[in-house]
Amino acid sequence: MTPQNPDESTEDSNQPSGSPVSRREFLLRLGATGALIAGSGIAAKMLWRPDHFVPGFEKEKGLQLRSYAPEVSSVLPSLSIAHGTDHEGTIRAAIGALGGMHRFIQKGDVVMIKPNVAFDRPPPLAATTHPDALRAVAKLVLEAGASRVVVADNPINSPTGCFLKSGLTAVASEMNLDLMYPVSNAFSPLQLNGEILKNWTFFSEPFKKANKVIGLSPCKDHNLCHASMTMKNWYGLLGGRRNQFHQHIHSIVSDFALMMKPTLVILDGMNVLMSNGPTGGRLSDVKPMNTVVAGTDMVAVDSYGYTHLLERDLAELTYIHKAHERGLGNMNWKDLLYKEVQA
Amino acid sequence: MSSTPNHKTPAAKRKDFVRTNIPLSENMTSTLILMLLVCAGVAIAIKGRHFNPDIFNVRTGSLDSTAAVVEGKSQTPGSVAGAEPMAEKSLPATNATAKGQAAPASPSEESSAEGGGAGVPVAAKGEAMEILLGGIKPMSPTEFYTADNLFEKIDGRAPAYQGFHVDKLRCRSFTVDASAGSFVDVYEYGFDSPVDAFGMFSMERDPKGTALDFAPDGYCSGGTSWFFRQGAVYVQVIASDQKPETVAAAAAIAKNRAGALPADDKGLAGRRSLPSAGLIADSVSYVPENAQGQSSFKDVFQAKYKYQNAELPFFIMVAKPEEAASAWKSFQNFCGRFGKVDVLPDVNGGKIFMAQLFGKWKVVYQRGNELGGVFDASSAEAARAFVEKYLSGEIK
Repeated sequence: MTPQNPDESTEDSNQPSGSPVSRREFLLRLGATGALIAGSGIAAKMLWRPDHFVPGFEKEKGLQLRSYAPEVSSVLPSLSIAHGTDHEGTIRAAIGALGGMHRFIQKGDVVMIKPNVAFDRPPPLAATTHPDALRAVAKLVLEAGASRVVVADNPINSPTGCFLKSGLTAVASEMNLDLMYPVSNAFSPLQLNGEILKNWTFFSEPFKKANKVIGLSPCKDHNLCHASMTMKNWYGLLGGRRNQFHQHIHSIVSDFALMMKPTLVILDGMNVLMSNGPTGGRLSDVKPMNTVVAGTDMVAVDSYGYTHLLERDLAELTYIHKAHERGLGNMNWKDLLYKEVQA
Repeated sequence: MSSTPNHKTPAAKRKDFVRTNIPLSENMTSTLILMLLVCAGVAIAIKGRHFNPDIFNVRTGSLDSTAAVVEGKSQTPGSVAGAEPMAEKSLPATNATAKGQAAPASPSEESSAEGGGAGVPVAAKGEAMEILLGGIKPMSPTEFYTADNLFEKIDGRAPAYQGFHVDKLRCRSFTVDASAGSFVDVYEYGFDSPVDAFGMFSMERDPKGTALDFAPDGYCSGGTSWFFRQGAVYVQVIASDQKPETVAAAAAIAKNRAGALPADDKGLAGRRSLPSAGLIADSVSYVPENAQGQSSFKDVFQAKYKYQNAELPFFIMVAKPEEAASAWKSFQNFCGRFGKVDVLPDVNGGKIFMAQLFGKWKVVYQRGNELGGVFDASSAEAARAFVEKYLSGEIK
């Protein structure tokens, strides 16, 4: 009998059968490993949701706003320009030129009016929607049969202070309008495939109640994006630290034309904040232009406002060009069916 | 031929990798790790099944260490613990509250509320603005902002102030007893220096404003708003309307603030002389000595101006008249050594020379105690026209 090598003896104690892996077993193990890797890949692909903003396994979507825009008319104008001396008369004339408020608001509608109340400035400084403008629009909407009018904005400054100092609180009380403040639970995630705006917290509560949306904005200079008019007005619906979008101000403003398809927008150019915007502070910054522009295409409305009310060169207003190029409106307002009237 | 028992084949020599004697502790540890992995996977699957903003939003409490950035966030009057009292007294009930809505959230509260975190009250910091005048009452607590969160008060206007090194803003509103519904807003922007405060004041200046007798750098705009610089503070007092009672209260407040804030005009002699028309914000700079490479050029203010589609660098130095004249002559000689110099006709008492050095133009004047001019200009015509119009008073 051959004596055993001590080393060999130790090795053998850990060996189940003493035989190496056979070719068949090797192939089987290789196949099993490959199948496992392939299965993992397929499972990962099935679970992968590139558009999803919350890590999870079920499809979750943020709020997607529907269009509130009226049907396109081949007969009635989509843009009107009215000149006058008082808010009510001029706004009435502008809406009348579009075919009247009945074209946009029907009996029983719940209408949200979105003013620009970003700052706690008094009305004469033209940094916020003028109370007379809100009064006139609310009156027209109620005359058209609206059952309820909601006025909502998420100001930069304290909401109570902004609504109070801008004079809108008084109008809301006087006309029994629902002033909707940006309370804590009034926000929910918005989902949009914008250039910058993808998913963001949004002042959604008014949209749960309203079936018509009207934007009512002042026309004013803006230090960062040159002008704040009807498109920029929707910025006031975003929540959170929205100032971070200032880095891409023209992209985000053009995104608003994608985000919001309003029933109607009204640009109040009765008194225009020509300089030191968006806050202003001096009456000398304000120029009476005695004009109201209304329409269904906010790109066209803003285009008119920038050239004729702020009296500037449209070539420098990047967000208008972006919105136009993206097909979100027509900056060549003269190409639209429009009507210019005197109140 | 057969191999001997001790002579192994290569396959037989290979060490087998299979282990059979695995200790119990190792087995238990492995099992435990696998069970933990399974538990973690199940937990993630369950939690991720539904969107819960609480999971994915920042707890504001965790940001306490950086609270300075958001301190002074504008508040809903009276809504925040730690804010000054007496705010809500003057605010009438709103329709919203009458209809049973909850009190509105300030933007800061809104953010935290959306995130589902426990809203951290932001208390006011700094000395409250108390104005001891009859006929007015505080309408809201004093608000405080830093350069970093100034946008929360003035949004897109903030970068302009930051360009002049704004340090803080303190503001408050006051109701007017004699006029129901009227109010006066008071803003006090603190800057790094009187020079910075003057810079911002100049940029927003109303050319039609009427000068104030109580503040040399100040004006009243439209009869309802007062703007002035006092020390390193740029003060704005804005009446809500044109009612005589409101305007009187605002005027009294403006005088009060001018008297209450310390005067400091350090470094402003030259800065005051810089014209404001066409001034490019952010372009004003101060050169304490050796400006333009000249040892005699001290305490010089420089700025860029937009003029005739050109961007013109402009400087001003204020000194004793003999020093200004000497520096002008010295600079003319210096330019003559390296380029071509032409002496131009005097304009409104100002001596002018024009020089071309290394392809760029300089138009330099001296009038009384003031020395200044355009330098490094690409357009000789624009540079000359700018200086001549400045001396003739057409550019202010």
